[in-house]
Amino acid sequence: MDLYTKSKEAILNGNTSLAEEIVKKAILENYDINALIDTLSEAIREAGDLFEEGEFFLPELMRSAEAMKAAMGILTPTLSQEKESRFIGKVVIGTIEGDIHDIGKTLVASMLSAEGFEVYDLGADVPVATFIDKAVEVDAHLICVSALLTTTMVGQKKLIDTLNERNIREKFKVLLGGAPVSKRWVEEIGADGTADNAISAVKLAKKLMVL
Amino acid sequence: MRNKKHILDLVKERVVILDGAMGSLLINQGLQIGIPPESWNVTNSELIQKIHLDYYNAGSDVVLTNTFGGSRLKLSAHNHGERVEEYNTEAVEIAREICPEEGYIAGDIGPSGKFLPPVGKVTIDDFEETFLEQTRILANVEVDFFFIETMVDLKEAESAVKAAKKTSNLPIFVSITYKKTKRGYFTIMGNSVEQCVDTLHKAGADVIGANCTLSSNEMIDLIPQIKQFTDLPIVAKPNAGKPQLVGGKTVYLTSPKDFAEDIFQMVEKKAAIVGGCCGTNPQFIENIVQRAKR
Repeated sequence: MDLYTKSKEAILNGNTSLAEEIVKKAILENYDINALIDTLSEAIREAGDLFEEGEFFLPELMRSAEAMKAAMGILTPTLSQEKESRFIGKVVIGTIEGDIHDIGKTLVASMLSAEGFEVYDLGADVPVATFIDKAVEVDAHLICVSALLTTTMVGQKKLIDTLNERNIREKFKVLLGGAPVSKRWVEEIGADGTADNAISAVKLAKKLMVL
Repeated sequence: MRNKKHILDLVKERVVILDGAMGSLLINQGLQIGIPPESWNVTNSELIQKIHLDYYNAGSDVVLTNTFGGSRLKLSAHNHGERVEEYNTEAVEIAREICPEEGYIAGDIGPSGKFLPPVGKVTIDDFEETFLEQTRILANVEVDFFFIETMVDLKEAESAVKAAKKTSNLPIFVSITYKKTKRGYFTIMGNSVEQCVDTLHKAGADVIGANCTLSSNEMIDLIPQIKQFTDLPIVAKPNAGKPQLVGGKTVYLTSPKDFAEDIFQMVEKKAAIVGGCCGTNPQFIENIVQRAKR
């Protein structure tokens, strides 16, 4: 088994220490780092597909995301040395106030940082003002707001309304997350998008950065 | 002291009817974000009592106390951790004041909202401690049985059952939340129906079943799957469809009539205890009672 295949298996098995070991070896032995990162990304996408298929569940997905994050933590500094930073953009992410559902949001945050976003995870039960202040402070490109309850989804609308009131709506793309969030809701409140799962969320975030 | 049948004897005789939703009704009544529903046992007790009474009047044999989020771990997330005893005790008192002679009061126990690694950071001991405390309080004020529900992690459900078992001899109903995947029904943690049933049976549950997430039509096929692994009575408490936000209001689209038809199908597949979860109300229970009479 070659090193690329091994790295992919380490991610899919959620084996953080093995993933770290492999990428360290790859750096020492002058492997093509970009090709390695592509392989790792492929692995994490496969983990997401397996989750959709009902083969993977939350623990497996979290472990894979953790292994990916650890591997990227080692690879990223070597890339900046090569002035080939994979930095894509800055994201402020959190679960809206009144809502303590943390899992989906944390998963998206891990995936985004694994893919090269600089992620500011504010946690759960985050007031609208905190989201906006942080986004302004770090000059974020994206604000990702999770709401798992139909009752807290109104907070997502409040965030958009507040951005409009402060005349800074155009500065940020706003993505909505959470099981009850629909495309219709995104349109109704004037957000920039939503995705069905963490993998699609990362794809969407990348797409919005290009626009 | 009321002289009524033991709940498990009643279950052997006929289908037992639970109540419907509490939380979604409270939200309709103006419960604000960030306020634990259990605090209303103290600040808005007439309203909680009225909901219980409406369910009994609709034909519920059992009401579940307003203590779903009444564990210390859960209340602490709202900074109400120090009021565990007060909220749980009051919840039972409120229900008892209007409980009919033949009615039952189940001490409701929901998930702690915390997760074991790798998803979260709590330990099995944390689960056990929080559920020992809550079951002890509920047993002290003499609920008829425990209703542990909406559990998405089998390990947490098991901890709760074991804690309840340590606390008292009261019957333990335990209900898991499954999602439907292409490969069948699983919890989000990946526990299969067989694993859940086996583990909970061994832990000492008296009744095993499912509630929440699945709408009534999705839950029908789950009942025979549970049945295949246990002889214990089965409880079914589905949602009234998937929640949708329409014009700023949360709506559940399954009608009380369709819901009752689905429930009836579950009863035909040997569900012995039935009721409603999110999006249901006393009208749903009334429809189940009417359907049962036919």
